Amino acid sequence: MSEKLTSKQLSKKITDEYMEEAFHAHDLGKLIGYSTAISPVELFVAHDIIPIYPENHAVANLTAKKGAEMCSITENMGYTSHLCAYARSDLAYRQTGMTVTKGIPDADLFLACNAQCFTLTKWFQILARKGNTPLFVFDTPEHIMDKKAREEIVKYCVVQMKELISFLETVTKKKFDYDRLKEVMKYSAASSILYKKFLDMAQYKPSPISIFDALIGMAIAVYRRGTPECVEYYQTLCDEFQAKVDQGIGVVQNEKYRLYWENLPVWFKFSDHAKLLGSYGAVILTSLYVHAWSLDFDLDKDPLVTLAENYVNRFSNSTIEDRADMAMDLFDKYSMNGMIMFMNRSCKAVSFAVPTLKDMLTKRTGIPALVFESDMGDQRFYAESQVRTRIEAYFETLDRLRT
Amino acid sequence: MWESLSIQDIVEYAKDPYPSIRKWAKDKGKKVVGSTIADVPEEVIYAFGFLPVAILGTNKPLKKAPSLLPDNACSLARSNLELALSYEGDLFDGFVLPQVCDTTQHLSDIWRINFPDKYVESYLAPRQVDRPSAKYWVKKEIERLIASLSKWSGKTISDEDLNKSIALHNENKAILLELYEIKRKFPGTITNKEFFAMMKLSEQADKAEFNKSLKTIKDNLKRKEEKDYIDIILVGITCDPPEIYEIFDELKFNIVGDTLVTGARYLQGNTTLSNDNPIDALTERHFKRGFYSPIHDDVYKNFQEIHKLYKETNARAIVYVHIEFCESQEFDLPDLKKLIKQEKIPLHVLDTEYQTTSLSHVRTRLQAFSESLRGGSL
Repeated sequence: MSEKLTSKQLSKKITDEYMEEAFHAHDLGKLIGYSTAISPVELFVAHDIIPIYPENHAVANLTAKKGAEMCSITENMGYTSHLCAYARSDLAYRQTGMTVTKGIPDADLFLACNAQCFTLTKWFQILARKGNTPLFVFDTPEHIMDKKAREEIVKYCVVQMKELISFLETVTKKKFDYDRLKEVMKYSAASSILYKKFLDMAQYKPSPISIFDALIGMAIAVYRRGTPECVEYYQTLCDEFQAKVDQGIGVVQNEKYRLYWENLPVWFKFSDHAKLLGSYGAVILTSLYVHAWSLDFDLDKDPLVTLAENYVNRFSNSTIEDRADMAMDLFDKYSMNGMIMFMNRSCKAVSFAVPTLKDMLTKRTGIPALVFESDMGDQRFYAESQVRTRIEAYFETLDRLRT
Repeated sequence: MWESLSIQDIVEYAKDPYPSIRKWAKDKGKKVVGSTIADVPEEVIYAFGFLPVAILGTNKPLKKAPSLLPDNACSLARSNLELALSYEGDLFDGFVLPQVCDTTQHLSDIWRINFPDKYVESYLAPRQVDRPSAKYWVKKEIERLIASLSKWSGKTISDEDLNKSIALHNENKAILLELYEIKRKFPGTITNKEFFAMMKLSEQADKAEFNKSLKTIKDNLKRKEEKDYIDIILVGITCDPPEIYEIFDELKFNIVGDTLVTGARYLQGNTTLSNDNPIDALTERHFKRGFYSPIHDDVYKNFQEIHKLYKETNARAIVYVHIEFCESQEFDLPDLKKLIKQEKIPLHVLDTEYQTTSLSHVRTRLQAFSESLRGGSL
């Protein structure tokens, strides 16, 4: 039956079933494991632990413009306004139950992988303390540029994954099934290939995909990777976008500017930004952020090794030089001719690299950059007129350069 | 240069240690390797014949750092970067930079990119400490650091070199611990400012020389037993600018214990001398040190540590030093505050910023805290 569903319908179905299962996890004899979005969650899936991502829940609230209100609640609890808006809105949810969704079930255990950021580790520590719930910190040292050091980092991560498996066995009182992991890895590898294919549709002119499509499309990769339905979803998505390519349908008519975006989006300005940029004939094609789930598993390797190799080399755990190389690959592949560098007050892990990255990318591409500072979720740090003025001025500059 | 200093000399040197380090390195023909905090095994750097220097920020204005690290970045990180970029960069031949959080991870990259002609190595400290893999990783990182320094310098070090260096560092810590004990028991004998100047210079000067000064000072101290001091515990990572210690002295607060990375935590876990394997000994030491917010995940443990110290020293109050924009501290602090308050321990949170030159607000708030402890109500 599901073959007939559109990707949108399929996404809703998968999400509804996932949340339904999550809310009844204990009735089904399963546990809820909170996880950072970039983490070897394949181990959870293989062990029948339902992964829940508080970040996703936070995004729903921040996109619905609840950020300022929720963050203020957390600040009244003694936390500063400098902290991540995901964390601040989540702590407000814990305190008040405020949410635009049905909420998320409480955790039975936590997995914090710092390949994404250290913020989540600290945030999960607070939640784990509150519920007296076990927490596993999966420590991923920076993927520094020395080849030998990288080999050692992978070995360290493999040792930790074995510790993680023991941790899961202790918490669930159930033996880990490595054959099941191999099965899960097949699904994760297959969906990752399709997810990347979907993102790479941005290479076509006009591009049938914008970063906003990618941000919507990535959700299933984040919370359902390692499952057959995830593969099915990305196959459907690729088919739909391929049809757009075949018909020459682009995101904007008369596509003029193909832009790179650095950082997470400003969630509460999501559709406004798409419309505003579209009015200039501009489309943001991609960011390193959405590519974070373009995993490249080698199924011929020991699953723990290929998991370690993939999760340590995500953009968020790479050196600034490597991040610049990753972005340059995208510039070349997608023929981009502009870039927006967002300094996101909430996300220090991504943003502290931005000034240096901007210098490197403008030098290497010869393309000027639009830099603006705001917050991905807290509207109090967003100055509408300033951002609009900057965007206008940026396109004037790009126009001038074109002529 | 550092072998026969008086306490007053040490206070002066510690205020601006870099001219003396520069002169010493030139006179001795030695290379200087800077490290930001925390936990880089300085014994290894010293064993290579280099001078390890802790980079502890500058109070001079920020000029270049703001364009590389935004204003919501940890004030110590920005200050350290500024120190290297604008003021003292020439002094250092190389850097070993520990990564313990998102900010220090980026700082290492930014540093390396901005000093292409200098030796810059990252020390990838584990951000977990309770599992066997953490020990495995610390040892690997110490071995990698030795290999990296060896490649850079063209030198190799023997176990004997490392043991000698460890012994010297142990001696330094042992003397400082004795001095701390004297300070604790005999308030007024060594002021807060003097003691933490000794701590600071110990992390920056050549210990072979500086230990002599410390030993002479210790042996010749005339113990006082002044009344009216309020014993306090200082909690945090660092405490800057050093003028804050002057305010503590003015208000007759005696710091009798602390958890600072640049304070008591630096002195914890004397490295066991091992003829067989000094690397193992240094690895073990990593796990003997107390709570450090970025690498330890349990604020309860931090509280227990603080509470134990508070009880053992019979302190009257706790002063928590918050470094502006230190994300790690900011996530921990509300729960820690709650735990401290539950025990009805008087607590004062001091917000510090490395570029602060006016401390009038700090003085006013500490005065009020002092008054409340001396008879008023909290």
